[in-house]
Amino acid sequence: MSVASVLVETAIISALYALVAIGFTLIFGVGGVLNLAHGASITVGAYTTYYVTRVFGYGVGVGILAAVAASGLFGAVLYLGLVKRIQDEPILVMITTLVTAVAIEQVVVVLVGTEEKSIPALLRGNADILGTNVQLNMLAVFVLSWVVIAGLFAFVNYTKAGKALLATSMSHKGAALVGIEADRINLMTWVLAGAIAGLAGVFLGSFQTASYAMGQGPLVLSFTIVVLGGIGSIKGSVLGAYLIGFLEIMTIEYISPSLTGLTPLIVLVAVLLAKPEGLFGRELVEA
Amino acid sequence: MSSDTVSGGLFERLESSGLSLRYVLGLLGLVFMAVLPLLSEFELGIGIPGVFVFAVDNLLLLKLTGALYFGMFAMSWDVVSGYTGQISFGHGVFFAVGGYTSALLNIEFGIAPALAVPVGVVLAAVTGLVIGVPALRLRGPYLSLVTLVAPLILLNVFIWQSGTFGGERGLLGEDYFLGLGSDAALEVYYIALVLFTLIFALLFAVTRSDAGRVFTAIREDEDAVAAAGLNPAKFKTFAFVLSAAVGGLAGAMFVHSPVGGARPSELMSVIVNVEVIIAAILGGMGTIVGAAIGGVFLILLQDGLSNLGDALTIPIPGTETGVVLTPPIPFSQMDFLLFAVITLVLLLVLPGGIVRAGIRGGRRVLRRVRSDREDPVATDGGRVEDSNDGENADAGRAPERAVYRNYRDALEGDDDEH
Repeated sequence: MSVASVLVETAIISALYALVAIGFTLIFGVGGVLNLAHGASITVGAYTTYYVTRVFGYGVGVGILAAVAASGLFGAVLYLGLVKRIQDEPILVMITTLVTAVAIEQVVVVLVGTEEKSIPALLRGNADILGTNVQLNMLAVFVLSWVVIAGLFAFVNYTKAGKALLATSMSHKGAALVGIEADRINLMTWVLAGAIAGLAGVFLGSFQTASYAMGQGPLVLSFTIVVLGGIGSIKGSVLGAYLIGFLEIMTIEYISPSLTGLTPLIVLVAVLLAKPEGLFGRELVEA
Repeated sequence: MSSDTVSGGLFERLESSGLSLRYVLGLLGLVFMAVLPLLSEFELGIGIPGVFVFAVDNLLLLKLTGALYFGMFAMSWDVVSGYTGQISFGHGVFFAVGGYTSALLNIEFGIAPALAVPVGVVLAAVTGLVIGVPALRLRGPYLSLVTLVAPLILLNVFIWQSGTFGGERGLLGEDYFLGLGSDAALEVYYIALVLFTLIFALLFAVTRSDAGRVFTAIREDEDAVAAAGLNPAKFKTFAFVLSAAVGGLAGAMFVHSPVGGARPSELMSVIVNVEVIIAAILGGMGTIVGAAIGGVFLILLQDGLSNLGDALTIPIPGTETGVVLTPPIPFSQMDFLLFAVITLVLLLVLPGGIVRAGIRGGRRVLRRVRSDREDPVATDGGRVEDSNDGENADAGRAPERAVYRNYRDALEGDDDEH
């Protein structure tokens, strides 16, 4: 594989990784809790699209909208039903969200079964970029991911609600002092994070497949990216995602494809042990 | 079960033994487990036909064997997580290292399980050291992240080197411990029970010793421990290694029993790791007793739920599974979902655990019973010789509180301080 194609593949896969991690980092940054059901939002999104397109026969566009709505709703239910009353106890949040994640997996197993399901591609066909043959579907995923990331970035930095979110992530006390209601911001964060994760789930499912355990890998990926990029930093997450994406493509390309899932894990442990606060501090949140 | 038979007369007799009631109940529980095989062909249940009914037969003994090993898993988690407050999300690593080491030695080199198991224990302890020492640098959720990832790394290595480790399917063909298979259910059960009792006694003694007090102090305030001239790192490492060794022992014995095997799904999957935490927390974190009861109870609950699932599904003729049982995994149908939901509810309703709630409730009952005879407050308040347990029980949700506080501090950093 040529250097150009490694770069193209890295650019595409990393954009999706960034999309996967952003919701996780938002919740971590704003609420100060680790949402271990983040992978479950991805599963919810993917399976909603599966149902809407394959079972009810609608188009991919409707499937994506349904996935975003369903996973956003999932985020809201999770926050209002479980997390809100225990949000001051991060470890309890970790445990309950982990149990929720397991429960969602089981729901999928009961409803759909353990076999993998395919989700229709966004676009069919191939294109040639820098001498690399790329599926148009991947390209669509890349573009849409960046649109969402840029949109989120603009939302956080230039809208009132986004600025309130940013303020809450920086200082709960300060945000409360200027009249920002933390609970509303938290709810907004969980809905946003869920919706973005659901979208990422559709994308993941469209060029791999959807399976009941499909959320586990992205969850670990999210940790790694968030720890690498620094808590609650959107920019850090994107950078972290590109670093991980690059490392992963390199590992697959030059060492062994069977090591696919191992790279982010090892990077995570290495970063945690060497520099637990991440490569970029909390401050990057402002940017 | 027996609470409805409690009367004033029974209390007086139990109290005259000089032990507090809960110890007597605990010992009675163990004695009950020991004589259980004698009650063959009796049925224990909650009175609804087909639901939560356990007939005392070889099948039940094997189920209980699995439950006892799982109780040991939960106890090993409690030593490090419940006591020192270092929440481990990946204790399956230690079960897997113990189990796989022993199974591989047995399969590849023909070493008898009785000799292979101790090697597995040693290697698990070494793993505890390998994970525990670097983890000393980390606090709160960051440590939990490392422990969460550790079994995933191990699983990836197993899949990568699936020629040796059998990948996701695991290893096949390891011998039974002392050659005791499912036809020797009685012996298998008693080996598990004896081991369970010994491990319980060991961990109970350690956590009630001076070292156990330091563990608790680390959970409450690590800086204070250091300020008192004790090295928290030394005690945390000790807790990690002890916990890993016990987990490895349980894992290795489980693998060589007819109920278990060296498979990722049984030793180190996300579900197993979650179940261990659930068992210990539901039982009562930081008590050892809670973890022991929680672990055994959890497997029986799941078994009951899977029977319930069977009762709810339409039986397809010709697909009788017979004596195939693999607690605690796999639960392919409804039962695990039900279990997860029940767990979520219990976590929110009884965050301090069943044992602690039981002790508190029991004390209230005792106080009411005793109030006829003497001043209730004096009997309960100032017992110095029992202070360690008193602290555990009276502090109510204290262990979780302390851990939550530490996690909050680690996560929010200096957010609230200026």
